[in-house]
Amino acid sequence: MFNHTLMDTKKIDHIISLSNDLRWQIGDEFHDNLAEGIYADAAEIVKDSVHKKDEKGTFRIDAKIDKIITSRIWGFPLMFLILAFVLWLTIVGANYPSAMLSGLLLDTVHPALKGFAAAIGMPWWLDGFLIDGVYLAVAWVIAVMLPPMAIFFPLFTLLEDFGYLPRVAFNLDHLFKLSGAHGKQALTMSMGFGCNAAGIVATRIIDSPRERLIAIITNNFSLCNGRWPTQILIATIFVGALVPASYSGVLSLAAVIAIAVLGMVFMFLVSWGLSKTVLKGEVSTFNLELPPYRPPRFWKTIYTSIIDRTLIVLWRAIVFAAPAGAVIWLISNIYLGDASLAAWLIDSLDGFGFLLGLNGVILVAYIVAIPANEIVIPTILMLTVLVTGISAGEGAGVMFELDSVSATGDILRAGGWTLLTAINLMLFSLLHNPCSTTIYTIYKETKSLKWTLVASILPVIMGFVVTFLVAQIWRLWS
Amino acid sequence: MNTYNPITALAVFFALSILAFLFFRPYRGWFWLIRNSSVSNDKIVVEDVLKLLYHNENADKHLNINDIIRTLKYNDRTILECINKMSDHELISIQGDNVKLTQSGSDYALRIVRAHRLWEKFLAEKTGFKEAEWHERAERMEHELSKVDADNLSSQLGNPQFDPHGDPIPTNTGKIAKIKGIPVSELPIGTIGRIVHIKDKPEIIYKQILAENIHIGSVIRIMEKTSARIEFHSEGEAFVLAPIMAGNITVSVLEKDVVFEENLARLSILKENETAKIIGISKEIRGDSRRRLLDLGFVKGAEVQIDLMNPLGDPKAFLIKGTSIALRKNQASKILIQKD
Repeated sequence: MFNHTLMDTKKIDHIISLSNDLRWQIGDEFHDNLAEGIYADAAEIVKDSVHKKDEKGTFRIDAKIDKIITSRIWGFPLMFLILAFVLWLTIVGANYPSAMLSGLLLDTVHPALKGFAAAIGMPWWLDGFLIDGVYLAVAWVIAVMLPPMAIFFPLFTLLEDFGYLPRVAFNLDHLFKLSGAHGKQALTMSMGFGCNAAGIVATRIIDSPRERLIAIITNNFSLCNGRWPTQILIATIFVGALVPASYSGVLSLAAVIAIAVLGMVFMFLVSWGLSKTVLKGEVSTFNLELPPYRPPRFWKTIYTSIIDRTLIVLWRAIVFAAPAGAVIWLISNIYLGDASLAAWLIDSLDGFGFLLGLNGVILVAYIVAIPANEIVIPTILMLTVLVTGISAGEGAGVMFELDSVSATGDILRAGGWTLLTAINLMLFSLLHNPCSTTIYTIYKETKSLKWTLVASILPVIMGFVVTFLVAQIWRLWS
Repeated sequence: MNTYNPITALAVFFALSILAFLFFRPYRGWFWLIRNSSVSNDKIVVEDVLKLLYHNENADKHLNINDIIRTLKYNDRTILECINKMSDHELISIQGDNVKLTQSGSDYALRIVRAHRLWEKFLAEKTGFKEAEWHERAERMEHELSKVDADNLSSQLGNPQFDPHGDPIPTNTGKIAKIKGIPVSELPIGTIGRIVHIKDKPEIIYKQILAENIHIGSVIRIMEKTSARIEFHSEGEAFVLAPIMAGNITVSVLEKDVVFEENLARLSILKENETAKIIGISKEIRGDSRRRLLDLGFVKGAEVQIDLMNPLGDPKAFLIKGTSIALRKNQASKILIQKD
C-alpha cells in the first residue's frame, strides 16, 4: 500500500514536471491563439448555420431614434430636459404624498402614541426616548424619503429599460474620460440624485474596478433626495429674500440648481484627482453595449424598482434612523451640570462653526443626523429653539418642522443666521460625509475599510475647506 | 473670538496647506522620505549587488569592488560593509580584487530576478500602470517578495515563462530558458518574424521604443535596411528605427508559410458607411481587457462597421455581430482591420 502511494506521487511529480516542460516549449502565445481560434471557428459556424429573419424594419426605427438622441444638436439638450423633468416630477410630485404621510405619521399617530403612553402611565423618559426620539426619527425619514424615491426610481428604471440610459452614457463618455472615469458613471451619478446608496449599488454596471471605485467615491457629490428639500427650503428663505417677491422663486431655484451643478463640478474634479493619484494603476477598460430599444415592461419595472431599490434603501435608512432619533432625544435631555449635553456640544463647536461661516447648532445637527439627511432641518430647528430659548416646537429632543416657511426663517434668524450661514449650509449639505446608509452600502460594495473611509472623510474635509474659504472671503468683502 | 480676523485665518490655513503638501506629496513628501529611510537598507543593497553580479556574469563580464561601487547608487561605505558581510555568508567569493558569485549567491540572485520579472508580468496583466513604470516598480517590489510570495504570484499568473519584455522568468527550481532570436538590426530585408524580446535597459532607448508603440508578440516584416535606418511594417504601420534601437529588439524568425497581412488599418480610422473585416487585436491589449474584447465578438474574420457617431467625437459605437458596442478611440486603435 505504502509503495503504491509512493509510486503515485512519483508519477504525479513526473507528469507535473513534464507539463511544465511542455508549457515552456509551446510558448506564452499558445493560450491566446487557441482562444482566438475557437472564437473565430465559432463565428464561422454561426455564420453558416444560423439564419436570421430580415430585421431591417425595426432596425431602421432604432437607427432613427439613435441619430436624434446622439446628434450634436439634440443630444445634450434632450438629456438635460429629461433629467430636469424627472427631478421636477419627483420633487413636485412627492410633495402631496409626503404631506399626507407626515400628516398621518407626525400629526395623527404621534399625538395618539403620546396619549396612549400617558394613559398607561409610561415614565416621561421612556415615553420621550421611544416616541419623541426613535419613533419620530423613523416617521420623519419615511415621510420625507419614501414618496420621492417611489417616484424617482420607477421613472429612472423605465428610462433604463427603454434603452435610453446607455445612450446617455455614450454621449457623455468623453467628458468622463477626461477626468479618468467611465461613461456609465453618468448613470450612477444621476441615480445618486435619487439616493446615493442606490447610486452606489448601481455602480455594479461598471465592469472596470478603477472606474467603479471612482464612481463609488464621487457619488456623494450628487445631491440626493434627502438633501433637495433642505436646499430648497434654505434657498427660499434666505436667497429668495434678496430680490422682490416676483423674482424670488426664480432666484432660489437658480441657487439650488447652481449647488447641484457645483456638485457635478466637484464630481469631475475629484474623479480626475483620484485617477491621477491613489487610483493610478488600477486596471481600466471601457466598453459599452448599446442595446436595441424596446417598450419598457411597465408594471414589472415599477414593481422591481420599488422592491429592489426603494424598499431596500428605505429599510436600511429606518434601521439607521432609529438610533439617531434616540441619540437626538438623549443629548437634549441628559443634563451635565446646568446645561444639556446638546447645549455643551453646541457651545464647544460654536467657535469652529463660526470659522466655517456656520454655527455649533448646524455642526451638531450634522453629527447626530449622519444616519439620514432628511432629519437635518428638523434637528436644526429643535436645537436652535433649545439654545435660544424662544417658544416654538414641542420641547427638548422633539424634532419639528413648521408649515410656514417664513416662521422657519424667523426661528433661524433668531438663531443668528445670516445669508452667509445659509449659503454655507447649502454648500455643506452638498459637501459632507455620506449618510450612514450610504457608508454601509459603500462598505458592502467595496469590501474595503480603506475606501469606505476615503469615501466618507474626503467630502467632509472638502466641505470644511470650501465653507471656510467662502466665509473668510465673504467677511473680507463685507 | 476677539483675535479673529479673516486674513489671519486665511494665512494660517494656507500655511497649514503648504505644510501638508510638503509632507504628503507623492514620492518626495517628507513623510514618505522619513518612512523610507527608516527601513533597513542593507537587504536591498545586498540584493542589488547580487543582481548586478548575476547580470554581468551572464554577459561574461567580471566585476571588481570598484565597479560595483561605481555602478550602484548607494554610499560607498554601505556597499563595502555589505560586500564584506556577503563574503562572510559565502554569497560571493573575493579573489584579489575580483568578485564572483558562489553557488548560493547565484541561487539567491535568481530568486530576486524571478521576483522582479514575475512582478513585471503581474503589473502588465493585472494592473493599469503604464509600461514605462513597470521596471521601476518591480525594482522596488523585488526586495519585498519572499520565495513563497513569488511562488503564489507565479501560480496566480498561470506560471508564465516570460516577463512582458520577453525575458525568461526563472522557475522556482532555478531553471531559466534561453531567448532564441536575432536582433532586428541583423535581419535581412523581407524577413518575417515575431518580436520576442525588448531590452528594458538602457532606459532612454527603451522609452523611445515604447513611444513608437512597438510590442512583444507583434509580427513584423523588414522592408528596408541601410546603415542609418531600418524600416519594418507591423500591425499595419511602418516603423523607422535607428540601428541602435533596432539592436535592442529581438525577433524570432517565422519561416513556415506565414501570411503577413499587408494593408492593415486600425478600427479607429474607419469612417461612417464603410465596412471592414477584423484581422486581430494588437498585442498591446493584454489580460482581462483582451478577453473582454474577444467575448464581445472582436475576433478574426468578423465584419464591423460604424453604428453611431458621438456628439463629442469619442467614443464611437461599432456594429459587430448585430450588436452595437461603444469603444473609445484608444481601444479602437488597437483593433486591426482590413477595409472591404
